[in-house]
Amino acid sequence: MTVLDLVGLSFGALKERKLRSGLTVLMVVIGVALMTSINGLGGGMNNYISEQLGTLGANVLIVTPSANTFGPGAQSGLQTKLTPQTVRTIERIHGAKYVIPSFTGGGTLKSGSETKTVSILGMDQSKTLYIAPKVSFESGSFVSSGDSGGIVLGYSIAHPSNLAKPFASIGQAVFVEFSKVENQGGVEKLVTKRKAFQVRGILNELGSQSIDDVAFITLAAANTFFEKGSVYDTIYVITSSPDMNDKVETSITKVYGKNIGVISPKAMASTIQEIMGTFLGFLSAIATVSMFVGAVGIITTLYTSVMERTREIGLLKAIGYTRETVLLMFLAESFTIGLLGGLLGLAFGIAGAYVLIQLLPFGEGAMRVTPSFLPTDLGQVFLLACALSVAAGIYPAWRASTLSPITALKKE
Amino acid sequence: MTDQGEKSAIETLDLKKSYKMGLITVHALRGVNLKIRHGEMISVVGPSGSGKSTLLNMLGALDTPTSGKILIDGFDISLMGERALARFRNRKIGFIFQSYNLIDRSKVTKNVELPAIVADMPKKLRDRRVHELLDLVGLGDKANRRPNALSGGEQQRVAIARALINNPAFILADEPTGNLDSKTGEEIQNLLIRVNQEKNATIVVVTHNLELAERTGRILHLRDGVVEKERVGLLSQGEVRDSGWDVMTEGRS
Repeated sequence: MTVLDLVGLSFGALKERKLRSGLTVLMVVIGVALMTSINGLGGGMNNYISEQLGTLGANVLIVTPSANTFGPGAQSGLQTKLTPQTVRTIERIHGAKYVIPSFTGGGTLKSGSETKTVSILGMDQSKTLYIAPKVSFESGSFVSSGDSGGIVLGYSIAHPSNLAKPFASIGQAVFVEFSKVENQGGVEKLVTKRKAFQVRGILNELGSQSIDDVAFITLAAANTFFEKGSVYDTIYVITSSPDMNDKVETSITKVYGKNIGVISPKAMASTIQEIMGTFLGFLSAIATVSMFVGAVGIITTLYTSVMERTREIGLLKAIGYTRETVLLMFLAESFTIGLLGGLLGLAFGIAGAYVLIQLLPFGEGAMRVTPSFLPTDLGQVFLLACALSVAAGIYPAWRASTLSPITALKKE
Repeated sequence: MTDQGEKSAIETLDLKKSYKMGLITVHALRGVNLKIRHGEMISVVGPSGSGKSTLLNMLGALDTPTSGKILIDGFDISLMGERALARFRNRKIGFIFQSYNLIDRSKVTKNVELPAIVADMPKKLRDRRVHELLDLVGLGDKANRRPNALSGGEQQRVAIARALINNPAFILADEPTGNLDSKTGEEIQNLLIRVNQEKNATIVVVTHNLELAERTGRILHLRDGVVEKERVGLLSQGEVRDSGWDVMTEGRS
């Protein structure tokens, strides 16, 4: 018997019970699709985190006012204010090569008739490359410390995807608007501040929203414009080498205790990825369970089929089909279910991941996550579906193969 | 009919079969001794429960005897393993059943070729044989139908074609006309006689149909698991061939 004959016979049997076979295939499809979607989302999120944090140098530490924004430090108001004094203290720590304070603020950028909401980072731009070594210019250059009217635009600001022409170009004036609530003589009032900047540089695309979607101004300009009163939002610490990160971190924590946050982006990436891995692992476990449910579906379908086709099996054995051939015929049926379910499941899973990403909060909003599918993952899920299906077919197939032809032929 | 001298096509020696039904032991065969020559067509008749079907199942290697021997061409088939028996059934035996046992989802052609698939007959040869046999049984024009679109007689013809596909030396038929009206039954009888004469196949027919039994070469009367009596049928007396062809021709015209 050739493989073609085998496939022909098993396909014919499945086709005879279209609805039942279809529903069984659907059970496999659901499991495979779920697993594929979850893998795709997980891959996409991992890529996103790596992109976001990977642009930062390996010897960068980020110092924030509080260890944990949700922790007791934040709630009890014990957070340390990051001031020029903090900078000087950290500068004295052994292993801290550069200490770069920065201000962050949100604002609206206006260029001609176009408006864009952006993050604005104020810092000593000559040190940018220590923080993000991959930054490069499409045109122009960094703004020097004394140039309080200069601005550098991230790639996505200068080239928004929804506009055919650039948002702004070198030398052009843009306006930054920033609103805040002010207490004027006992009455709270929304005040909008507005300042003109001249575009000095436009960055190349880096693939990270923390650079591409940000506009950069000088430290002094940000301090004045956002009225920060020399209280920094973030201090970047460049260590002499990545091996020194832990030491420097310990030294900073020694000085400030738990009232300051020190994060190594690399460590942060791995922590986030770990948490996400656990969460996705949980989802994957659910998907795996659904694949097993699919396998039970196959057992039920094939077992029912064996019962219904007892006479047929008796006939086949009478006309010389061996136990092994009958076994193979039924296994081929379960394999066909797995194969169809696996292929359709992959297709639906890939499509499903793109649909899910639209529904989840990290869709088209602030985070741009694109599902990512590794061929090895897809292959594994597909093989698992086929293997589980064949395994599910073993019992019914064995039952069929061991039927006595006489008993089977007598069955009404 | 060819006599192969001493060696019989089928020989049973004190064949016994008993099986348990609950607490009772049923002795289906109590010592059957018979010899069937090559090319012979015999019928086995007897009341229900006389052991006819059990005997046929033994001869077809579907069941094993409790004691005694079955020699096919002088070889004791009880010495064969399961695989060898399956191969033996496939190559040497063609089964015809009362209820046809066709697979309804498969076309007539697929049903006929089933034994040839497992015999590893090349596809081209298979197709040719299927069509030759369907022509032989008068169903050349219904090759692509499904069994449930055929009459009972036509379905049994398909089953006969299926039994013949591997050119077996033996045809074992269990009540082949049992589900058919008398006219159709007669057509099937004629077809079997024709197969016996044209293909020189040794045929054993288990039947309640005495008319069919009479038209074979020898009639074995089975009662309570033993051969009660045996007599010569019309086929051995040379009285069937002509009338058989006549009926056959009438039936098809």
